[in-house]
Amino acid sequence: MPDIDIDDHSDVWVFIEEHAGEVAPVSWELLSEAKGLAEELDEDLVALAIGEDLDDVAEEAVERGADKVLVADDPVFEPYRADPYGEQFRYLVEEREPDVVLIGGTHTGRDFAGRVAVPAYAGLTADCTELGIDEDGHLEARRPAFGGNVLATIKCERHRPQMATIRPGVFATADPDPDHEGEIEEVEVIVEEADTISEVVERNVGDTADITDADRVVAAGRGVEGNVEPVAELAEALDAELAASRAAVDEGWIDGARQVGQTGKNVRPDLYVAVGISGAIQHIEGMNDSDIVVAINNDPNAPIFEHADYGIVGDLFEICPELVEQLEDVDDPAEVLA
Amino acid sequence: MTDQWTVVVGIKQVPDEDDVTIDPDTGTLNRSGADSILNRPDRNALEAALEIKDQVDANVIAVTMGPPQATPVLEEAIAMGCDDAVLVTDRAFAGSDTWPTSLVLASAADYLDADVVLCGEETTDSSTGQVPPGIAAHNGWAQLTYAEELEPKPDEDQIVAKRDVEGGHEYVAADLPVVIAFAYGENEPRPAGLHRKIYAETEFEPEQVTAEELPIDTDRVGLAASPTQVGGMETVDPVEREQERLESPAELLETLAEEGVV
Ligand SMILES: Cc1cc2nc3c(=O)[nH]c(=O)nc-3n(C[C@H](O)[C@H](O)[C@H](O)COP(=O)(O)OP(=O)(O)OC[C@H]3O[C@@H](n4cnc5c(N)ncnc54)[C@H](O)[C@@H]3O)c2cc1C
Ligand SMILES: Cc1cc2nc3c(=O)[nH]c(=O)nc-3n(C[C@H](O)[C@H](O)[C@H](O)COP(=O)(O)OP(=O)(O)OC[C@H]3O[C@@H](n4cnc5c(N)ncnc54)[C@H](O)[C@@H]3O)c2cc1C
Repeated sequence: MPDIDIDDHSDVWVFIEEHAGEVAPVSWELLSEAKGLAEELDEDLVALAIGEDLDDVAEEAVERGADKVLVADDPVFEPYRADPYGEQFRYLVEEREPDVVLIGGTHTGRDFAGRVAVPAYAGLTADCTELGIDEDGHLEARRPAFGGNVLATIKCERHRPQMATIRPGVFATADPDPDHEGEIEEVEVIVEEADTISEVVERNVGDTADITDADRVVAAGRGVEGNVEPVAELAEALDAELAASRAAVDEGWIDGARQVGQTGKNVRPDLYVAVGISGAIQHIEGMNDSDIVVAINNDPNAPIFEHADYGIVGDLFEICPELVEQLEDVDDPAEVLA
Repeated sequence: MTDQWTVVVGIKQVPDEDDVTIDPDTGTLNRSGADSILNRPDRNALEAALEIKDQVDANVIAVTMGPPQATPVLEEAIAMGCDDAVLVTDRAFAGSDTWPTSLVLASAADYLDADVVLCGEETTDSSTGQVPPGIAAHNGWAQLTYAEELEPKPDEDQIVAKRDVEGGHEYVAADLPVVIAFAYGENEPRPAGLHRKIYAETEFEPEQVTAEELPIDTDRVGLAASPTQVGGMETVDPVEREQERLESPAELLETLAEEGVV
């Protein structure tokens, strides 16, 4: 490992993941959470925005608590590609020597983090669900491993920067404060299109739903067998966000933005209804923080029942419509549930 | 670059996650009860590599970095149809985090003259997903993670991948050499052929490659060269739930109303 002086490294960076002007919600979650870490370390909170036409994004980052925003604004960065983003990030890390760098654990975030940690010789902890600072000022990152059966604590004591990807939905987002002040700095862009080794030929992005904030979530699994409608109608009747197991996402029935679990999002609603979901550990991990869990499954031995407060054994194609009907019978479903 | 592509598939032996426990006294992993298996997502990587072979002229080599006990996963790869398999093994590699692990695999890809490196999305043990982009970064190669479909373009020395991104998909064309992490579950891994299986189990011996042969400086691998350390592990206790069975939708709504779930 190259010798470095840990004390030369300062500031907590948050990577602002942005696609065509739209910021991934997890970036704001991290900015809110990192404020506390920066205060504890007595360092600045720095937002790093890479993309094109970032004025609004930079201003929002200030309102959301950044002391400083580093902006790399250039057409080469839209849409995201690992190689130009990686080059730019490496340059910034070498030049500015951050202490901590937090990145949302989205597909883009994990693609980016894995690329940039190598040239930065950073310690990179994956898919964290808890962050803290230990008594010596090192980042203490906790993450599920072995499918979620184990929670491991990872540290990077001898090297900097300390990087981590964090699962979406783990931290809450604070409201922006229009009076918060911060500096916005345009940095030098060191990447040229001619140097890139990949090209985005086509990009189709539609549903970027944020299920992580929802008070009620109804999730569908492989049990729906291609017919999501009864579950979607139940979600609507309950005024809930529709979510999905990975199986339902992989089958193409529900969009990946709505996936709950280890490789999806964490949700923490008041009510989580799992419909036709078996209850694999990788799924349970993403919904364990829910207040009340309901399971609907036709297999009385499905593991999901062990992770549910209330379970109904039966056919979802019968139970969902019945629930919808009874909810619609009352003028205001919220009243029944209130 | 020769006409024939060399496709290197990274595969890892992992403990079956259903059997893993933590010793409550020492806080260390209790692996003795767990079976060692091929990382499930790596089957999708193997299938994707073999599909490339079906489409263009390619030599598919499975590689694992691990102790000699990991040889059975290489045999599985041979049984599935890989042309060859290599065990990258050295005491110096022990304790590597993803930084040195991806360095070793990047060196192995170089050693084998890879045009394409295929990996699984992530492992079921430490599940960082950091190794594939790490390999690409070490070698300065292109990377395609969360790939769901691949289209080899031998005339252009490119591969086009359909990638799963937040809210949709994108198609990305990458120049060779390229490192691909294939999305878990996005293809149907082929079963082992009977003859291949017999060959794998009776005749086949993987080539063993050490740090010296790659070559790789042993100061750059292992625990001491790893920026991260595992500080401790705890078993996750399941969240306590009521586990109450209800008979009807009406009863469920009544109960939820009593609970006051708004
Ligand atoms: C590296 C890795 C990461 C992963 N990440 C995630 C993740 O983030 N999220 C996730 O969810 N999974 C994840 N998984 C996958 C996980 O292991 C399971 O395979 C997946 O959760 C199963 O989805 P499911 O419960 O919908 O499908 P299944 O396990 O197939 O369960 C379907 C259920 O529906 C029930 N059913 C069938 N018909 C009916 C009916 N008519 N009425 C009522 N019930 C019915 C069945 O009894 C069954 O219990 C991951 C796996 C790996 C290896
Ligand atoms: C509990 C625990 C937590 C850990 N957390 C971290 C962490 O946060 N950060 C970190 O840097 N290290 C971490 N490590 C170390 C990490 O486990 C090792 O570096 C590991 O060998 C590679 O990481 P992975 O299994 O996550 O691979 P992944 O990146 O998830 O693997 C993706 C793909 O790369 C290929 N691949 C991976 N390993 C090999 C191999 N040995 N041979 C061939 N192909 C391979 C496979 O195709 C695999 O599907 C952790 C270890 C433990 C025990």
